[in-house]
Amino acid sequence: MSHFIDRLKYLTRKPPEFAGGHGETRDETRQWEDGYRQRWQHDKVVRSTHGVNCTGSCSWKIYVKNGLVTWETQQTDYPRTRPDLPNHEPRGCPRGASYSWYLYSANRLKYPLVRKALVKLWREALAEHGDPVDAWASIVEDPARSAEYKRARGMGGFVRADWDEIQTLIAASNVYTAKQYGPDRVVGFSPIPAMSMVSYASGARYLSLIGGVCLSFYDWYCDLPPASPQTWGEQTDVPESADWYNSGYIIAWGSNVPQTRTPDAHFFTEVRYKGTKTVAITPDYAEVSKLCDEWLSPQQGTDAALAMAMGHVILKEFHLDKPSAYFTDYVRRYTDMPMLVELEAREDGSYAPGKQLRASDFAANLGQANNPQWKTLAWDETSDRLVVPRGSIGFRWGEDGHWNLEPVDADGNDVSLSLSLIERHDSVARVAFPYFGGIEREHFKHVAGNDVLYHNLPSKRLTLASGREVLAVTVFDLMCANYGIDRGLVGESEDDGATTYDQVRPYTPAWQEAITGVPAAQVTRLAREFADNADKTRGRSMIIVGAGMNHWYHMDMNYRGLINMLVMCGCVGQSGGGWSHYVGQEKLRPQTGWTPLAFGLDWQRPPRHMNGTSFFYNHSSQWRYEKLEIKELLSPLARPEDFKGSLIDFNVRAERMGWLPSAPQLDTNPLRLAAAAEADGKSTADYVVEQLKSGKLRFAAEDPDDPQNFPHNLFIWRSNLLGSSGKGHEYMLKYLLGTKHGIQGKNLGDTGATLPEEVVWRDEAPEGKVDLLVTLDFRMSTTCLYSDIVLPTATWYEKDDLNTSDMHPFIHPLTAATDPAWESRSDWEIYKGIAKAFSRVCVGHLGEETDLVTLPLQHDSPGELSQPDVLDWKRGECEPIPGKTMPNLIEVKRNYPDTYERFTSVGPLLDSLGNGGKGINWDTQSEVELLGRLNYVKPDGAAKGRPRIDTAIDAAEMILTLAPETNGQVAVKAWGALSKITGRDHTHLARPKQEEKIRFRDIVAQPRKIISSPTWSGLEDEHVSYNACYTNVHELIPWRTLSGRQQLYQDHAWMRAFGESLLVYRPPINTKAATSLKAPSSNGNPEIALNFLTPHQKWGIHSTYSDNLLMQTLSRGGPIVWLSEDDARSIGIEDNDWIELYNANGAIAARAVVSQRVKTGMVMMYHAQERIVNVPGSEITGTRGGIHNSVTRVCPKPTHMIGGYAQLAYGFNYYGTVGSNRDEFVIVRKMHNIDWLDGEGNDTVQEAVK
Amino acid sequence: MSDPAEQVEQDEVVQGMRSLRVLARLLDYPTPELQQASGELIEIIDAEPRLSAPLRGRLRDWCRRLAATALLDLQAEYVGLFDKGRSTSLLLFEHVHGESRERGQAMIDLLAEYRAAGFELDARELPDHLPLFLEYLSTRGEVDIGRWLGEIRHILALLAARLEERGAEHALVPLALLALIGAEADVEAHRLQVAEEAPDHTPQALDAVWEEEAVRFSADSDQDCAMQSAEGRRLAERKQTTSSEAVRIVTPPSAGVRS
Repeated sequence: MSHFIDRLKYLTRKPPEFAGGHGETRDETRQWEDGYRQRWQHDKVVRSTHGVNCTGSCSWKIYVKNGLVTWETQQTDYPRTRPDLPNHEPRGCPRGASYSWYLYSANRLKYPLVRKALVKLWREALAEHGDPVDAWASIVEDPARSAEYKRARGMGGFVRADWDEIQTLIAASNVYTAKQYGPDRVVGFSPIPAMSMVSYASGARYLSLIGGVCLSFYDWYCDLPPASPQTWGEQTDVPESADWYNSGYIIAWGSNVPQTRTPDAHFFTEVRYKGTKTVAITPDYAEVSKLCDEWLSPQQGTDAALAMAMGHVILKEFHLDKPSAYFTDYVRRYTDMPMLVELEAREDGSYAPGKQLRASDFAANLGQANNPQWKTLAWDETSDRLVVPRGSIGFRWGEDGHWNLEPVDADGNDVSLSLSLIERHDSVARVAFPYFGGIEREHFKHVAGNDVLYHNLPSKRLTLASGREVLAVTVFDLMCANYGIDRGLVGESEDDGATTYDQVRPYTPAWQEAITGVPAAQVTRLAREFADNADKTRGRSMIIVGAGMNHWYHMDMNYRGLINMLVMCGCVGQSGGGWSHYVGQEKLRPQTGWTPLAFGLDWQRPPRHMNGTSFFYNHSSQWRYEKLEIKELLSPLARPEDFKGSLIDFNVRAERMGWLPSAPQLDTNPLRLAAAAEADGKSTADYVVEQLKSGKLRFAAEDPDDPQNFPHNLFIWRSNLLGSSGKGHEYMLKYLLGTKHGIQGKNLGDTGATLPEEVVWRDEAPEGKVDLLVTLDFRMSTTCLYSDIVLPTATWYEKDDLNTSDMHPFIHPLTAATDPAWESRSDWEIYKGIAKAFSRVCVGHLGEETDLVTLPLQHDSPGELSQPDVLDWKRGECEPIPGKTMPNLIEVKRNYPDTYERFTSVGPLLDSLGNGGKGINWDTQSEVELLGRLNYVKPDGAAKGRPRIDTAIDAAEMILTLAPETNGQVAVKAWGALSKITGRDHTHLARPKQEEKIRFRDIVAQPRKIISSPTWSGLEDEHVSYNACYTNVHELIPWRTLSGRQQLYQDHAWMRAFGESLLVYRPPINTKAATSLKAPSSNGNPEIALNFLTPHQKWGIHSTYSDNLLMQTLSRGGPIVWLSEDDARSIGIEDNDWIELYNANGAIAARAVVSQRVKTGMVMMYHAQERIVNVPGSEITGTRGGIHNSVTRVCPKPTHMIGGYAQLAYGFNYYGTVGSNRDEFVIVRKMHNIDWLDGEGNDTVQEAVK
Repeated sequence: MSDPAEQVEQDEVVQGMRSLRVLARLLDYPTPELQQASGELIEIIDAEPRLSAPLRGRLRDWCRRLAATALLDLQAEYVGLFDKGRSTSLLLFEHVHGESRERGQAMIDLLAEYRAAGFELDARELPDHLPLFLEYLSTRGEVDIGRWLGEIRHILALLAARLEERGAEHALVPLALLALIGAEADVEAHRLQVAEEAPDHTPQALDAVWEEEAVRFSADSDQDCAMQSAEGRRLAERKQTTSSEAVRIVTPPSAGVRS
């Protein structure tokens, strides 16, 4: 049978197979999908990000259903890069993915909270006085009453309050403080504006309008690398992470890329597929070590020694023995290596390197009428003569068109600057260099040697205008000598330099091995590879540096060590090369659009800024415990008698010479000075100068313990200042807040130590200097626990704001996915409300007032040319001249009742004074007009007709409209303004984007790439990735330094005195914190002193997320400290034991993690674990075990106080003292009693160490 | 809800369930209004026959103390108890879902429940805030109330035990709620547990909470991980629809007591 009929022709019972038999179709119920479908249903997706102190700046999708946030996922719609470059997306990490938890967390702050004791006093006082300001006065003027609520700080007892009541209280306190003590006694701290710039601006605008003070954060966090302003005249500028992919050789030096730069790490991995070699340099076996081809493990804190040895190899092989043509050309044109340095004769016939020679040193100022004191000199090989090359800072101010890096002299003649004088020297000079590597420091290795090293240098003999003959050398020759290379000019025995790498002489590879422990051969090979790659690729060698390296007291040496390597190899300003310091998310890209909003520059100028480190050092009385002496820091070449006093004295001198800012400023209310001057028939400035000179008026810093000089009001927002950022945490608790603390050490008075010269010493230091501490946060952080008032803010999914980063070139928003939950409000609305209350409450107390603002000599202004020499008017070395030998004294008119109207509108100064930044200024009337049309104008009131800034989105539009980075028209204007100064046309960099105007709704739709602007030194371009200093190298725009080049020789008198004019290795300082305290009673367990390091973790970003159960579960769920196996064994500690770490500053209780990963001699406690999570009582202090900052105290460095000197001039978050903390040692021991201090009977006893 | 018979029943019990609203108010942030209302609260409590006399007595004492104590002290006590930390959170899902992603959806479902009953959320609060939830229940019929209280009985028991441990009178509210469904004994089990509970998040406790649970094909785990699986969800649904042991509000000892 054929089955022809039986067989079906068209139908089949079995669905056909497909995909080559791998696929089959089935018909079964799909009900199982329901769960999944319901799980992922949502009403809308909103774009936002996490405004945390993280450079990630990742855009996220926030899913919202029925007005509730349900979860978040990574955004993937970043604009594409270009062919042969991986894309940025997806960006994000587990921290971000667990954020939605915070919104509805039990730890979320839901209502404004105020301490019961305070609100009780307030309500009673208000009932009695009626006027809020009088009511506040009655509380704080009564010592018993104020002690009552100050003592309660940190002790709980909060009650909910309503917004109106609390805003009135805050405003009354501010008004009282401004009226009684001065507006500069109202201080605010908020970090990292880039992460949510409108939120930062809200508080800063309020403070600036009333004359309050904004404290800097970047230096205080010690994320500011002073080496960057020293070398480049720039706070920090770095390549975007995509540029890693253009690199041929990457060293991750102390940067734990996969752990702390999670969203960017893929570029690091991907570039390896192109054959790029990656090297990790970390003391511990960090996560990045696994990711790299090679791992070096130097002893912590000795990185500069390693860098110097690498530099030694690079200089010798690629600059001297077989010079790389590329390197030679690069350093000749882009560094100060050809600049001439005067040698100063010493008594023994040797010389010390002095200042860089200036046109003013020579007859007729070498033809330079404008700023000859600020024009550096070099020797031209072509014409064999002394020349004034263009580009030095003298050309920047007072003349137009000559400030550029063209290879010509001041008159336009072509020049080829001589790097070395070895071919044309007049004599050989024996030059002295300080050597610190022989200092014996417990726990660190040293290589003994004389404290002065002598090298023989080729020099020129020059005759100065005075007729005096001097010897001059080039910076290049100085550097070769300083790196310990014997050039063979004199017999070998007469030069302390080395001729081979295996000599144990400073700074050979063999020498560094004795200090760092890294094999000399490995160092030599890596240096060679690094330079060889840069030579072949024209600078595509890169160093990604971790801020831990910047947290050592001598951070500048670590950083300049790397920077020098990069500069020697021509890597800076080249795609795929350079210095990559990604810390503190300093890059607020639309900066010049933001500064008017943030600092109220549209209404009044200047704002009050203060450097955070000096402020906290001074006002939280950390100086009262200073054990580091100036003589421990001075160069053996300096005269100690010229540098007397203690660290605080140096800071006070820096303030009065106009180097550093002051806040509080003077020891009187600045609102009263104008009237006093008028009564005296003088201008305010003249009056103040006279009073200062006579000593009747002083800087507040000279007597910080006088109640007149207290920072009476403190606002903290977007920060856990007292927790993760509270270096000297226990000092802050005691002196600023007047509450329980754990300080173990004795102050200077108690130990009979030498007291400071410039500061009034009071045996009884006041405690509780702050009358009102207000913190804005969305969670109950350590800082909130200690605040008088806690205001609940909108989370990052509940507000509108802007976000940028240095890691990628995009600007993208935070947007409100839902309204702020409970009673929380956005920072913008909170400060707007306070401004409104202030305007109401101040009537009758403050009206139109004249405020006197002291402004230090500013970087990027003509003020940076103020002080070629160090002269102190108070010692009679010169006259006090505002803006020249001391701070500027500027009158500012404030209208206090109009504060709210001004807060919510764009002021008229933008129309009359224009806008700008970094030394460039442009007219911005058309943008103000545009804003008026976009945001509408105020219909009436004191700011009638001015553009409105009512909502956070209005504020964002103000930033976006005014900034060149987001408004192409402004970019063209800005480049045009710079072109005028350089004499070269740069507008081509922005012209193609002239009509591009990025608005808030645009970035809500998709992240946008910003527009190139002269605010930054890299380009946002379709052809190159963003890389710092790119426009310096490729557009010949000078660096904003003395020589206009990358400044490798720091010739300021203090730099030389403190031994850091050139790079040296300096061992960590001895803070004496672990040795100076009286031994506490033993708990029977052995102890060991270990170096205390605080790297960044994977489970939190500072303290944010470290109270998040999801993230805690991935770690150990509480405060932990990592120890090496050897150290743990030596004191009988086993993994997970409770241990205690203590020193003179305080104590910490934590669990031990014992790991082979950790190097012997150190402990690591990840930065900012929260005090509120799982901490038992300390056996030492008897109070709850502290946080990582409990064992720290800041120690400022005099070289960071320098000002009025080119790149070493003050700028907010640009230069100033920094809060280093890695030199600290702690004593570690196993705990005996685990006491939770809660009386709940869960206390235990740990078995004693056998 | 549209069943006319049930509607009638609900109307009948509205007055009786005012006691539920009293319990809700007692868990609210203390205000002057609350203090002034203390007499009224006592009246309603006295009229609730389903609560035992000793319990009513304790509630009465608490109400009197509320009226007599300085408001700020009451408020500080409240903030200390409920405005930080998770262990005594009044957000029900904090105890069920913690910070897992299920929480958002759970809140949405609850909101839908309110809407189906004709209510809109008119406060800046989350839908699973216990006082809010109790207020909602106070509008429901006895059957619903019983069922819902039955659903959260383990949370109530835990909350009662933890609040007792802290010496807070607020423990009386969950105790009373359990009493309404005759489940006072539930607390006993938790008392022991809470007494032993680490005061804070010890690593072990943290780990235990997040430990991967072995897959179980039973409805018992429908309060946790199993809900993430469709099978678990369906089992849970089935359990809800065909409630094996219906939880009901206890019958008053004597109808005559009601006034």
